[in-house]
Amino acid sequence: MVTQLQGLPGLQELINSVLKIITSRTFLEIVVFPGFLNVLLSAAFLTWLERKVIARVQLRIGPLYAGMWGILQPIADGIKLLFKEMILPELADAKLLMLCALGLMMLAAAPIVAIPFGEGLVIANMDVGLVFVFAVLSLFPSVVLLIGWGSNSKYSFLGGLRSLFQQVAYEIPMWLSVLGIVMLTGTLNLTEIVRAQQKVWFVIPQILGFAVFFTAALAELERTPFDLPEAETELVMGWMTELSGAAFMVGFLAMYTKLYVMSALITTLFLGGWSGPSIVPEPLWVVLKTFLVAGVIVIIRGTFPRVRVDILLRTGWTRLLLLALANVFVTVIMIWLGFGWVWRV
Amino acid sequence: MALGSWSLLAIFELVIFITTFPLLAFGWLMGAKGKNPIRDAPFESGQTRLGEARLRYMMQYYPYLIMYVAFDVVAMFLFTWGLAFASLPFAQGYLFLVFVAILAVPLGYALYLSGRRDLW
Repeated sequence: MVTQLQGLPGLQELINSVLKIITSRTFLEIVVFPGFLNVLLSAAFLTWLERKVIARVQLRIGPLYAGMWGILQPIADGIKLLFKEMILPELADAKLLMLCALGLMMLAAAPIVAIPFGEGLVIANMDVGLVFVFAVLSLFPSVVLLIGWGSNSKYSFLGGLRSLFQQVAYEIPMWLSVLGIVMLTGTLNLTEIVRAQQKVWFVIPQILGFAVFFTAALAELERTPFDLPEAETELVMGWMTELSGAAFMVGFLAMYTKLYVMSALITTLFLGGWSGPSIVPEPLWVVLKTFLVAGVIVIIRGTFPRVRVDILLRTGWTRLLLLALANVFVTVIMIWLGFGWVWRV
Repeated sequence: MALGSWSLLAIFELVIFITTFPLLAFGWLMGAKGKNPIRDAPFESGQTRLGEARLRYMMQYYPYLIMYVAFDVVAMFLFTWGLAFASLPFAQGYLFLVFVAILAVPLGYALYLSGRRDLW
């Protein structure tokens, strides 16, 4: 092979440089492990997990025939949806819908860039990682509203509006619930935040913040008990009603990517990230904890009823905001009493 | 080769784009095509479609949006305060408690307004 290519030195160099890029750590991080493949496969796995767990909750069996325990079901679904006809309403803005589905996927996966999956195993070690993640998450409502508006269907638009209100209402409690962590560690870097948890995980001193963050995460993810934007009995499928075929697949995958990213964020902020006994390698700890959190969210979907719109909004603005502020005061007292050194890095 | 955080983010987004865009294009090209006024109508539970969906909707929860605008900015300021908190002397922390207490007054008023249904 080498002798054959000697006549073409340019090609040889090109192949070498391409090989060098492909085997470089940065490239592998972006494409394989904390990056693209990890996100895609985990999101596909979560669709299977959700169907299987909810089936168990409802005394069914769930997917069974594609592969062992139906584990290949997401792939079968994906292939099926790829070959389906894309039916869009006659007055819908088809280009806008495609663009928004694509943008939703890109937005949903973006926070994974800042989330550490091990000591030094992070795509971009951002100093403002936490703010970056929240900034990306707060872009979601506008894209969702655009999908609802672009479909030109009443169900879609109502779903989009509800999604906007809900995500906007729960963003503030969500931000304030992690303020305690920022005060204790004195940094916004997610890697540093995980390092600070080597002694005690933040779920113990920040139990109030954890509760608020988890509830707000459920609302941000539009999942039961806050799944008003796609309340099946009222709005069919919410803002996703008029998406079909490949566009639906991408939008659906984006929602599960968001679930994975949010679970990973909860793991990073409150459950100690990669820290744990070294019987299991660090990245595996993160993935295991993430799937555990996602599993809890799925079980909640199988067991809780849906709340009403006004109750949802008032709960977000009164109870959760007050609880988040109370958490800040508890943290202030904790630092004044001199417990802060445990989490300083 | 050391890349900055934002270039790494851009590369990651590019990877997502060049893998997701072909899926959409493939679905668009391979899926069946056809025109049918009944099938192309937006879904309204089997009813005949009544006009466009881009109507004026009542903004029932307007006070909540106003509160969002205020508290979004406040939350960002609180983050900068929280970052520096551990190295601040007692007095600044005390001032913050006063600030949050003052903040609670307009919040309470806005919640009272949002509870009054006759204003909607």
